[in-house]
Amino acid sequence: MTEQAMRPQFMGARVKRVEDPRLLTGQARYVDDIEVPGMLEVAFVRSPHAAAKILSMDLEAARHAPGVRAVWTFEDCPVMLWQRDTYEVGQPVLAHDEVRYVGEPIVAIIAENRYLAEDAAELVTIRYETKTPVLDMVDAIAESPRRVHPEAQNVFFHKVYASKGFDEAFNAAEHHLSETFRTTRQTAVTLEPRCTAAMLDPASGRMTIYASTQSPHRVRSDMCELLGWDENQIRVIVPEVGGGFGMKANTYPEDIIVVSAAQKLRKPVKWVSDRTESLLSDVHARDDIHEAEVAFNSDGKIVGFRDHLMADGGAYPAYPFSGAVGETSLASRVLTGPYDIPYIATTIDCTYSNKTPLGAYRGVWGPIASFVQEGLIDRVARALGKDPADIRRINMIRPDQFPYRNSAGMVYDQGSYGESMEEALKLVDYKEFRRRQDTLRHEGRYVGIGISVFVEPTAMASSEAGSVGYESVFIRIEPTGKVTAAFGLGPTGQGHETTMAQLIADQVGVNFEDVVILHGDTDSAPFGGGTGGSRSGPIGGGAALVAGREMRARLVKLAAHLLEAGEEDIELGAGKAWVAGVPDRAMTIKELAEVAYTHVKRIPEGLPIGLELVARYQPKRAVSFSNGTHIAEVEVDVLSGLIRVLNYVVVNDCGRLINPMIVEGQIQGGVAQGIGSAFLESLRYDEHGQLVTTSLMDYLLPEATEVPRITTRHLVTPSEGEGGIKGMGEGSLIGAPAALVNAVSDALAPFGAMVRQLPVLPNDVLDWVNA
Amino acid sequence: MATKTPIRLTINHESYDVEVEPRWLLSDVIRHQLGLIGTHVGCEQGVCGACTILVDGKPERSCLVFAVQAEGADITTVEGLSTDPQHLTALQESFRDHHALQCGYCTSGMLLTATALLKKEPHPTEDAIREALSGNVCRCTGYQFIVDAILAVANGSKEVQE
Ligand code: FES
Ligand code: FES
Repeated sequence: MTEQAMRPQFMGARVKRVEDPRLLTGQARYVDDIEVPGMLEVAFVRSPHAAAKILSMDLEAARHAPGVRAVWTFEDCPVMLWQRDTYEVGQPVLAHDEVRYVGEPIVAIIAENRYLAEDAAELVTIRYETKTPVLDMVDAIAESPRRVHPEAQNVFFHKVYASKGFDEAFNAAEHHLSETFRTTRQTAVTLEPRCTAAMLDPASGRMTIYASTQSPHRVRSDMCELLGWDENQIRVIVPEVGGGFGMKANTYPEDIIVVSAAQKLRKPVKWVSDRTESLLSDVHARDDIHEAEVAFNSDGKIVGFRDHLMADGGAYPAYPFSGAVGETSLASRVLTGPYDIPYIATTIDCTYSNKTPLGAYRGVWGPIASFVQEGLIDRVARALGKDPADIRRINMIRPDQFPYRNSAGMVYDQGSYGESMEEALKLVDYKEFRRRQDTLRHEGRYVGIGISVFVEPTAMASSEAGSVGYESVFIRIEPTGKVTAAFGLGPTGQGHETTMAQLIADQVGVNFEDVVILHGDTDSAPFGGGTGGSRSGPIGGGAALVAGREMRARLVKLAAHLLEAGEEDIELGAGKAWVAGVPDRAMTIKELAEVAYTHVKRIPEGLPIGLELVARYQPKRAVSFSNGTHIAEVEVDVLSGLIRVLNYVVVNDCGRLINPMIVEGQIQGGVAQGIGSAFLESLRYDEHGQLVTTSLMDYLLPEATEVPRITTRHLVTPSEGEGGIKGMGEGSLIGAPAALVNAVSDALAPFGAMVRQLPVLPNDVLDWVNA
Repeated sequence: MATKTPIRLTINHESYDVEVEPRWLLSDVIRHQLGLIGTHVGCEQGVCGACTILVDGKPERSCLVFAVQAEGADITTVEGLSTDPQHLTALQESFRDHHALQCGYCTSGMLLTATALLKKEPHPTEDAIREALSGNVCRCTGYQFIVDAILAVANGSKEVQE
């Protein structure tokens, strides 16, 4: 690498996003903006019951309704998600003999437009014989009241782990305390609902799928696997996507129906979810119970954690990964967070139930594990009458311990754990807060502070965005000297067209404006995993750096030959190559490209014609940990039970920053979602298994008046990977709920309150106050 | 099939003659009949604010209005601000400067709500801005940068164009 590439111009700069102008002017195209002549639309008849046998279906009236082109049941599209392979059960894309959750699709109506499809859906009559629904997680694990799938045990994932010598060490500790932590179902609620369109290309006979997804190549692979297509017969295009947050990393039954219908009816077909359908059928998340126990000594040193992790996976494992398994597995391995806790023992049980399948929502395991881990730390502090910050100091992994192997076997790379906490404490003026808290308590006002120190495993070998641990970049310098680079990433608002261009511009030596980033088209992008698990920055960005560097090497070779200089003397920048110290001996990259494409006789021996290549990057480490500290200050009104966030501070360390503005946007957005997770959002089922939160009037999202001003600071502990980049899309939501609810526990300490359920609602507050 | 009624809509100072079914939502007609796709639909329940347009200068949810009810009204959609990336309005520019958008799905509604606010109250406080935005959900940004973008316009010299 030359000196200049090591001092990047664009990486680290607050470059304004290239995506913005089209979004700000209303010109961007999302899936629902794709309209093709003759396009049909789909509406689904969904199960009104949590558990029932289907006795009969009367579809005649719907078939003859105006504008209806087809009415489909399972027979018309006999596809199973999970063909009873990994798990013993498979999900029919349309339920036929039995329904297993409210909202499960049963009949697809394909009509000239959505209004007519919905009209016809009303005309479908289905007779059911209801069954006792399986709704309670703990009962379900004990196979009560029955099995959700007669052929399979309710527990579909069970795992036990204990570090060596656990029992002895755990029992020998001076103190023990236990708590049951509960998170309730939440979901991503992307503002753009799920949607898919598909059409055959009349010229080639290939299928084009417009998908609102985080992972274009995964959609293509899933379609091939489930519908028997060949990869070269499918093109997946991902236009603008209005948010993903993990929820759009799955392939859903509706996607299969749309593609199948486009194939069989030979018509363009589109389905766009309405909000009620979304809340019913987008994957849910965070339905977990942790029966946790901590062993510690009087000096505050924690010896070990024991935890029984349970998750309600819903009626089927979501395809192609179960959120229940994702949430518990990783939680069990990172439960000790940033702390040096030598012993851990975990048991995992994931169960089926008659609820919507559990999938991913930003942070997946993290918000739950942080809530448990930071909740236990605060309990230890309270039990010993010590300051919660001190208990954290005593147990924090020290800088000299890196690389650190935690008690569950995960290896952490360098981080700034203690430093991030001290910095955050300074920002909130912790001592002063304690004084103020005391004074206010005497006036009958309850303010509290919550600390959450988190680790965020990023850039993992596998994640919800697929099981590939690498990313690929196809890069080309066009004959005009401009750069085009294509990625297999699936941005849903993260601004990859900007950040990836920043990285490439530095490496190739061109201006930022001269780089165009392509993504979301399997015809142009090399195979890639997509976006999820905080992998796009470190792995996608790493691939961008490698591709840019390889291209740079090509340019240097070519320029050295043409300028008759040594390769080591060639400098590149601002669209030019020149001989170091002799700026007059220069060629523009455009001139170099002309040689590479047109005057090819001038290309030196050993260099290929043209300027294009594919580069791949797989980090050496299996995982790279970002970290940080969140501190929340809240005031709890003990009369109304209302909680107000007064102040919020984040000190974040995600290694080298590509674009601080975008990183800060991710932090702000994640903390807002954390406020939703901590105080508002809850998908509630009644005793019959009906989801009662089916509109945004019932499932409450944070609004502008509920999110405070958030102060952010960056620390930089580079990763050992390309560019020193670590991922960071999820950390803000991993850290936030724990900080917020710990602040509530702190505020209500005079009432002995300790939050053990997410979200905390005003009634919970009143229960503590009036106890 | 239900009979259609001819109506004339005035949107962004242009008039459009369309035939609509009485039950068609204004949001659907704007998007699918007129091709003004900058108006987004996030819930059709009147909660998220993504579909916000200005009706006679006031923010309204186009998913809660039937197209036939909008005859005679003066409607502004996001396309009525600026559709030229080279010449954004001060507010659009400020959104870009402050990173007030990520996925962009809520953005049209945010811009129109803010436009109406600044027209009525050129120098609102932060609280007034947050209050005005409280009917517009953004799942990506956490609102602060949207608030900052609006504050910057309010404190700057540039007029808000409509
Ligand atoms: S789409 Fe109209 S308020 Fe949500
Ligand atoms: S930018 Fe995505 S919802 Fe606001």
